[in-house]
Amino acid sequence: MSSEAWKRISRRNFLYGTGGAALSLPWLEGIAAQAATVSTPAQRMAFFYVPIGVIRRGFFPNEANAELRKFVDTKEPINGAKMPVGFHELELTPTLKPLENIQHKVSLLTGLDRTFQHGTDVHAQCASCFMSSAAPYTIKSSAWPLDRTLDHIVADQVGHATPFRSIELSCNSHKDNKESLHFDNISWYGTGHVAPSMRDPRKVYRRLFGTQELKSYRNITDLVLADAKSLSRELGSTDRHKFAEYFDSIRTLEEQMDKFEKMKGELEEVDLEEPTAALLPRGEYIRLMADLMVTALQTGLTHVATMMIAPERWDTPYMFESLFDKPRSHHQMSHKPQTFVDDLLKVDHFHMQQYAYMLEKMDNIKEANDTTLLDNTLFTYGSGLGDGSTHQYSDLPIIVAGSGGGKLKTGHHYHFADGTPLSNLWLTQAQLMGVNRKRFSDSTQALGELLA
Amino acid sequence: MRLKFPPQTISNMKSLTFYHLSIVLFLLGAFCAQAVVAGEVDPFQKFVQPVLQKRCVKCHGEGDELEGDVNLLAIKNFADVSKDPDLLSSIIDALEQGDMPPEDEPELKPKARKQVVTHLKHMLHEVLQARSTFSQSPIRRMNRFQYNNAVQDLFQLKPVVFSLPERMLREYKNYFQPQTGKMPANLNAGSRPLGKSQMIEPRLAGVGPFPQDLRAENGFDNRGDHLSLSPLLMESFMKLSTSIVQSRDFTPKNCGIWKTFFAPPLVNDDLENVVRQRLEPFLTHAFRRPVEEKLLNRYASHVIALVEAGEPFEASMKEAASAAIASPRFLYLYDKSSVSDKAEAIDDYELASRLSFFLWGSIPDQTLLDLAAAGTLHELEVLDQQVERMLKDRRLKRFCDSFPSQWLQLERIISSVPDMEKHPKFYFFKYRVSMHMMLEPLLLFETILIEDRSILELIDSDYSYRSDLLKAWYKDGSLAKTTPTSIPFKRVQLTDRRQGGVITNAAVLTMNSGPERSKPITRGAWIASVIFNDPPEPPPADVPPLPEGKEEVDPNMTIRERLAAHRKRADCAGCHEQIDPLGFALENYGPTGLWRDQYENGRDVDSAGVLFRKHEFNNIIEFKDAILIEKDRFARGFASHLLSFALARELNAADSPALDQIVSETKSDNYTLQAIIKQIVASEPFLHKYNPEEGTTKNVK
Repeated sequence: MSSEAWKRISRRNFLYGTGGAALSLPWLEGIAAQAATVSTPAQRMAFFYVPIGVIRRGFFPNEANAELRKFVDTKEPINGAKMPVGFHELELTPTLKPLENIQHKVSLLTGLDRTFQHGTDVHAQCASCFMSSAAPYTIKSSAWPLDRTLDHIVADQVGHATPFRSIELSCNSHKDNKESLHFDNISWYGTGHVAPSMRDPRKVYRRLFGTQELKSYRNITDLVLADAKSLSRELGSTDRHKFAEYFDSIRTLEEQMDKFEKMKGELEEVDLEEPTAALLPRGEYIRLMADLMVTALQTGLTHVATMMIAPERWDTPYMFESLFDKPRSHHQMSHKPQTFVDDLLKVDHFHMQQYAYMLEKMDNIKEANDTTLLDNTLFTYGSGLGDGSTHQYSDLPIIVAGSGGGKLKTGHHYHFADGTPLSNLWLTQAQLMGVNRKRFSDSTQALGELLA
Repeated sequence: MRLKFPPQTISNMKSLTFYHLSIVLFLLGAFCAQAVVAGEVDPFQKFVQPVLQKRCVKCHGEGDELEGDVNLLAIKNFADVSKDPDLLSSIIDALEQGDMPPEDEPELKPKARKQVVTHLKHMLHEVLQARSTFSQSPIRRMNRFQYNNAVQDLFQLKPVVFSLPERMLREYKNYFQPQTGKMPANLNAGSRPLGKSQMIEPRLAGVGPFPQDLRAENGFDNRGDHLSLSPLLMESFMKLSTSIVQSRDFTPKNCGIWKTFFAPPLVNDDLENVVRQRLEPFLTHAFRRPVEEKLLNRYASHVIALVEAGEPFEASMKEAASAAIASPRFLYLYDKSSVSDKAEAIDDYELASRLSFFLWGSIPDQTLLDLAAAGTLHELEVLDQQVERMLKDRRLKRFCDSFPSQWLQLERIISSVPDMEKHPKFYFFKYRVSMHMMLEPLLLFETILIEDRSILELIDSDYSYRSDLLKAWYKDGSLAKTTPTSIPFKRVQLTDRRQGGVITNAAVLTMNSGPERSKPITRGAWIASVIFNDPPEPPPADVPPLPEGKEEVDPNMTIRERLAAHRKRADCAGCHEQIDPLGFALENYGPTGLWRDQYENGRDVDSAGVLFRKHEFNNIIEFKDAILIEKDRFARGFASHLLSFALARELNAADSPALDQIVSETKSDNYTLQAIIKQIVASEPFLHKYNPEEGTTKNVK
């Protein structure tokens, strides 16, 4: 095309014309048709990650009188209060209290453990490897027992029909780059391959509901494809063969964009305004991110979502507007539980309020067959540490909400035997989401006792 | 059978001294070949076959079991040999290095051995000349390290694009000054993968990296056959291309080309002129070759269309920049197709890229591109000056951030976890002593490179860089106070030859041990692979592991005695004869690299052995001496690692004449590192390509 001809193309034509038309593929219609005939609601999966553990006496039933343990960094297993293995009535401790209205749809799971792999920071590993499919010490050449995480393994199964295979969010309002990626990401494509979390609600909004990002891809796709075609002609035959990977990859990306464009009509119905650039009070910020995530799950933009309620460690203090007058560092307080126990309990309670907010919101969204969005979601609350002061990887605080479409029992408390790996829960959830595998990380077996 | 060289090859030959030798050899080869063609004498049948018949075919052809899968009976004449130069090359190696026939077979007398090797080498040369091809690294995307560097260089960015834990040795206060030709006696360094907060540095906010590229087995992370693209990666590249230019840290202050590229032009300037004038040098730099008119038109029209549609100039140029770094012409490393079905000289732009990716892990700079445009880069003097310049440039740090740690396989120290009860001092606070250990061999390498010292110091050096912690550790395994981030290292004189060099470095010894004990076989295999580039075959699948359980192990035995039982199997003995002595030589070093005279059970350590069935040694110092006697073999192993890194591919028989050349040309300089690098650059495989346009795969294995 001559430069004159290019000039005549308006921006709008440029954005929506050539790129999409040249690359949209016939089989996409097939997928859309398939989606229309589905009558049972899609199953979703979501995670709510809480950093820096919890104050055990506020969270765990039977530990109300537990001593506050001093700061240690041993990573040795420390067991919580003894209680019989099996089902118990769900007792709403002070920290669990916000779940009151929705308690019939949640399960408290206690006694689940992880193993720390020596060689990395305890906080960094507890977050980044929380959902990892790698058992400790199995990844050579890396200090992290980190491989494709549960959300992506499930997205491999259920992510093909949605524009986004998964979304990753972190309610991290820090302006500094103080910590490494491992502190702000629980979602990983594979060893050393982060699925970067989004922190800015405006960017999340634009990616999910806007066309900004799409436009910029579409724009440059035309240019780079032209480069690719001319380059291909300069290559030897062996290289030309390998270089096909470039065209294949772009095409897959274009397909994702096409799926997204097909949904645009539906997305215009979404009743959510673009967030302002203003710095929001912490609670509002979190609930805004929560709204974005719930809407994405509701509309079928994605079926898999993860959210960190705050990054791990990150010592820089920040405001908890409704809780304290001055900026606080959750992490620094966690090392002095004797001094800060009341404030730490407030933080734990505050985080639980946000989780409850999401659960109630999801339970108010009706879906087919008399179910709600929450019923059709496996939505797990969890922290990578059992206690921010002891840095223990054992007896983690875990709650599962929703029933995966009626497949899980809900409304109770189950206590597992000492040493039951958390990965057993991940294996169970993967299987519930249709993933055909018998092991996950260091799992020993699926948790059949939780099934309805 | 005549070779046709394109004109440029001839000029390359003229400009490089060693090519005179090549021509002589070439003529010699042509002469021999003609003799063969005439059918008068088949050199294989006359000189080689009788020896093989007598000494080799018993195991390699006649028996039920074909040792090493080598059937020498299948080779009946010169034509058969010609079909498989790699086999020919390995026969030469086995005979020349004295590996074959094995110990328990009658000896092949040195004179007969030498004769048959000489004949085989002639044949190999002849075969390679007739083929005149090299293997070629396939088109490949940049790896993560190269991408980061290339984006930084293209935009002249101050911050890094994203954090790179693959850079193991972190520099503080710019100690790395190659132009001085001297490493400072005191410097501050940090260990990136294990140290506290080592990932913190100015980087572009909002830019997420793509995954780290893993090292090929016995190779490097730049290997063409390992670097592919997936839809997921494509999305990363697309995202990167936009998030980089849109990062809040991508500012006029941080971006060196802002004024000349992104800043809006004066109102009176003609838009089209300005855009074209700015895009041309930018795209040339990004794509490493002159941009064609059509391509320039595409990018220019894009920008102009955006501006005319009301988009600000800066944003429009950013979009073009995004496209450029998402373009395969930026992302991919490749040579243009060759015209004939023979190896051809690469053009000067390809040479510029090979040089810059080899020594700077990045795209060429303006000087290299200018010389390529002038068509003079390949001229001996110019090339020599440029390599000289590149070796004195701070971007050489990227070479030091990639080659040495991968050559030494040092990433294995990251996951080394000696038993905590037996080695409590290995762990302190949140850290491990290994975060100091791993810096020592890397600092030694940088010293040898910057000061242009002999690579033999990698075997035996009378100096090293040590932190206080390392000094105490080597002394008696105690701990000294240290800083977690920026660790002071001092150049220390070593009087004890049990220390120094890379083989007796604590990181190497620790990573080649298990949690419970030293692993002599693993250590031996490491020396065979890293030091001599002769990695052993993997063990057969049906070998039972060495029993380790408390009931099965006689506590009074040494590891050597336990392994001896294991070695009784005839099919194991062949390999273990070669690797075991290398590993047992290091038995005086425990699982964390500390010296020991006795094992835990009170038995004395026995580290004696024979190197290459030639050089007896009784201790580690004699072992180092034995390697130094075999310095040519070490130098060849080292050069082959480096050539493989430079070419981003595995080497094969066709590269062996070049390796011989590199070794013989640098011997008189006592194998200084810079001399070896210069010879690599001047070698035929580095200056040639082989990628025919049509799918003619003849001559390619």
